[in-house]
Amino acid sequence: MKQESMFSTRVYPVLFMVALTVVFISVVSGIFLTTEDRVRLNESIFQKRAVLYAAGIDFPRDNPPKIQEIYEERVQEVGGQEGQPDYFRIELPSGETGYAVYVRGAGLWGEIVSIFGFQTDLQTFTGVEFVEQNETPGLGARITEQWYKEQFRGKSGPFQLVAEGASDAPDELDALTGASRTSEAVLKIANKAAEEAQETVEQEGQ
Amino acid sequence: MATRGKMKKTFTDPLGKNNPVFAQVLGICSTLAVTNKLENTVIMSLGVIFTTTLSGVTISALRKLIPGRVRMMAETLIIASFVIIVDITLRAYMPDVWQQLGPYVGLIITNCIIMGRAEAFAMNNSAGLSLIDGLSSGIGYAYVLIVIAFFRELMGTGELWGITILGDWWTNWAIMVMPPGAFFMLAIFVWVVKGAIIKEEEAAK
Repeated sequence: MKQESMFSTRVYPVLFMVALTVVFISVVSGIFLTTEDRVRLNESIFQKRAVLYAAGIDFPRDNPPKIQEIYEERVQEVGGQEGQPDYFRIELPSGETGYAVYVRGAGLWGEIVSIFGFQTDLQTFTGVEFVEQNETPGLGARITEQWYKEQFRGKSGPFQLVAEGASDAPDELDALTGASRTSEAVLKIANKAAEEAQETVEQEGQ
Repeated sequence: MATRGKMKKTFTDPLGKNNPVFAQVLGICSTLAVTNKLENTVIMSLGVIFTTTLSGVTISALRKLIPGRVRMMAETLIIASFVIIVDITLRAYMPDVWQQLGPYVGLIITNCIIMGRAEAFAMNNSAGLSLIDGLSSGIGYAYVLIVIAFFRELMGTGELWGITILGDWWTNWAIMVMPPGAFFMLAIFVWVVKGAIIKEEEAAK
């Protein structure tokens, strides 16, 4: 049987794929567009939460309007574009002026993007939040755990790594067991954070 | 028309002796990768169940229209669309979980179970049966992962779902949350379950 026509072997598969693609892409695009505002809002709240957390300001985690309110009251975005300022000027809980900057560095698998919060001296950390990381889940990705981030508060570099759970001096950072490379990456980022913050803030003027 | 017996067999097979993970050894990549935290595992499993079920139904419904030589392209497109829907939905409604799972959600596309079921089952069976097959393949995958994740998180961190279960007396087995831990757990799981199934079959003879 040599009944296979040109249409069924050549044209139909192409038409079919085109039609299928159009249908599915339309559905996916539709869903994307209807959730776009929500995703944007999530991202903006995510950044605001990160800045407040790095500055050590309390906020209700699951209450976006309240987060927005506290953020507007306390934080001023300086320079850059809307949503991506060069740095954040913050009224700290102590009443002093603090700062927060984005610090980027290489992690084990990809870039680690963090927000470091500083006291007025631009030396002492008020805290840190890791906003983007691709470290190994369960190992390096534990940098996003509360206890790990909390250890940065009130410390100032240059730092050295000590075994997990062993840090007690202001220049010591806990490493993560099983994630030496990630620990070293964070150490590097933390060590250059103050310098970068000073440069940024000086450049823009206070 | 599918008989009740066939429907029941379609549903129970992937849960037991034809399980996608421990019998067919498919989906091992994510079995190893996402099972060190129970929460991530559960969300991942739900994503896979959703995708296997809906892609099975869709591919089966279109099976008479899909030209043979481009069928894999068509299957991949359909599967990818459902996975992106999962990704977008998580991103919009569960941003915290989405942050944690990150690349793994997108990697559901490459989960061999989904493609395997599409090729082996949905292309040759009715939409109704494919729905049952997709659902139970997803569940078959999910429960294996959840069992493995339960032990890995508990023994590796002393926690379950992020809540401390074992007290200070417990020394965390760091290897359990590392990649080798996944191999050990999977191997033990396969050993125990297959051993039980083989015994059962021998007893039946």
